[in-house]
Amino acid sequence: MGNSCFGKRRRSDSSYGHGNQPNINSMGGDSAGQTWNHVPGYSNLYSDRPQNGIVMVRGSQMFTCDMNHIWNMSVESLILWTLKEIRRLVDSNQDPPLSIIRLNEIGESESGWVKVVQGMISTIPLDDPLGPAVIALLLDECPLPTVETVEKLYDILKPSSALAEEALQYPAKHRNFTCILGCVAGILAGSKSVELLNEDVLEYLLTLLDPRFAREVILFALVALEKFSQTGENKVTICKTSIHQKLLELEKFRDSHETKFREVGFCAQWCLDNILPLEGRTLTYERLSMEQCNVILNDNDVSEYLKISADGLEARSDALSFESVRSTFCVDEGTWYYEVQVLTDGVMQIGWATKQSKFLNHEGVGIGDDEFSFSYDGCRQLYWYSATSRPHDHPQWKPGDIIGFLIDLEKKEMVFSHNGVAFPPVNDVFQSVSSGFFAAASFMSFQQCRFNFGMTPFKFPPKVPFKKFNDYAFLPPEKKVILPRFKKMTVLSSLSISESSCSICCDTEANTKLVPCHHSGLCMECAMQIEQCPLCRVKIKERVSLIPTNPVTDQGDTG
Amino acid sequence: MSSGLPRRIIKETQRLMTEPVSGISAVPDEQNARYFHVHIAGPKDSPFEGGNFKLELFLPEDYPMAAPKVRFVTKIYHPNIDKLGRICLDILKDKWSPALQIRTVLLSIQALLSAPNPDDPLANDVAEQWKMNESKAIETAREWTRVHAH
Repeated sequence: MGNSCFGKRRRSDSSYGHGNQPNINSMGGDSAGQTWNHVPGYSNLYSDRPQNGIVMVRGSQMFTCDMNHIWNMSVESLILWTLKEIRRLVDSNQDPPLSIIRLNEIGESESGWVKVVQGMISTIPLDDPLGPAVIALLLDECPLPTVETVEKLYDILKPSSALAEEALQYPAKHRNFTCILGCVAGILAGSKSVELLNEDVLEYLLTLLDPRFAREVILFALVALEKFSQTGENKVTICKTSIHQKLLELEKFRDSHETKFREVGFCAQWCLDNILPLEGRTLTYERLSMEQCNVILNDNDVSEYLKISADGLEARSDALSFESVRSTFCVDEGTWYYEVQVLTDGVMQIGWATKQSKFLNHEGVGIGDDEFSFSYDGCRQLYWYSATSRPHDHPQWKPGDIIGFLIDLEKKEMVFSHNGVAFPPVNDVFQSVSSGFFAAASFMSFQQCRFNFGMTPFKFPPKVPFKKFNDYAFLPPEKKVILPRFKKMTVLSSLSISESSCSICCDTEANTKLVPCHHSGLCMECAMQIEQCPLCRVKIKERVSLIPTNPVTDQGDTG
Repeated sequence: MSSGLPRRIIKETQRLMTEPVSGISAVPDEQNARYFHVHIAGPKDSPFEGGNFKLELFLPEDYPMAAPKVRFVTKIYHPNIDKLGRICLDILKDKWSPALQIRTVLLSIQALLSAPNPDDPLANDVAEQWKMNESKAIETAREWTRVHAH
């Protein structure tokens, strides 16, 4: 599990209610509490916690530092400490850094929350690859703020179009503030998010959507507006502004050679295609020619918050969860190669996964976190297999770097390369699976990369003979479409479901009767999965198929 | 967690839209069709009357074989709902049946607001208060409704 500290817990479990730690012991058995059961480190941590606020954590060398020291550190030092420690969190059994627990505790009071947020705004440097992810994590850890608390923050910072100008001089501060606004808009979606998007905040964010500002600032202002738009009322307000004009301008950076601008271009285009469509604008997927493209990222095999570009070859996450995707094509024999250009330098786990590999985005489980997948992480410089990691010697990746993925299914080995420099083969995953490998990747918050399955020339083709996905794969034209989300929802709601279908799955015809209760209305497949009648709870003794066992169809038989 | 949404969920969503239940609204999230934004109106003649309670409902990967996960987002003073908003309701746990639906679950929660059950508590302190001094507890519940559920 690569990301014990990132996105593994759902916000709702950790952060509700000021001043109250969830008491695991008294909640045992509750349905919502089950999420905690997946997080051994956390539950131990909290149940070991005595009332006086001193945390006892066992067995991890990371926490051998003087606790008094942590408890006396300033908010700013705690944030910098977290930034440093988070990179070292590489094991699912590790507990979160003490600094996070301390910050969480400070953030329990209203004034404390404001202090933590102010601390993040002033301290997190622009160039730390994990900066924004740490902001998202800490906000997720702290109790949910009330509208009044966030307004206190507004009173201090006074967001407005005038304040936006300051971003020319202090890009880090404003990148951090916009990132925080986006996270808060996301976690307080609904009526609270409407209250938070006042005129001044809207003006502040809109002003920042301008190429004269640092791209990090533009990017996070854009993400914040997108998150505010998740609430319908805000979307209406935002659409009445100059947003579309600005997005159309920023969309032009989609093909920029500078990776930083490509992120902005990607988000602007994705927003126009998926969240804030503009009347009269042709959706990107409608104007793309996909003729040469035979492999894309699979829009039906992806966790729910990942953003996939209209051409199906680029993906990005702006969610708090650990988002994953597989390609449409898989390989069973021979030697194959694909490349990925990383566009951000934070945590992604990219590699190979079979269909059995599970995406548990809310629990931080992705590629390399089970025995059916293996991944490369160029940020923390790790290989991942079966949720355990081991270091590799590749240099840390930088935006624009090309990572090569070679798999030899005869020799049963994988070779990873960084800008053409290949490293010794690895073979761990072949212990459990030997075929059916898809290209696959998992993304931490605010990460993005682009896949090349061989439609365009590789930057660093390996020296051994290999095959390209794109030369062997086939996709019918209707499968080469990444449908915008709002369109997808429309398609879903127009699907009609037969009244005679199984009442449990609605997929197949109801064809089974339960004995002894004689209830029916379900299919055999569902009936096999349950022990009690879903209607009367009587124990099922027999499942009787209502399909005639002897399908006599003599009619038409003229012979 | 693929986005190929099961037909069962599609069907329930369609029905929630076309035949809404009185006092209950459940709207799927625009980004995630398994996540619903829920509002339940406090039932008449209960201390929660007049309140509008926000909940979140999530359909796990194995739904409907497993129960939905439901939680109050609005603070509420109720012996079967704890301060994290978690709900003590048998059909959300061992009494779940795949024949139950989002609609029936939300109706049960609405009924729980009408009939708090301090003998099967989740919030111990609230339940104790409810048993020892019911009128005071009801007053507190009214107060919380006024302050938090508007």
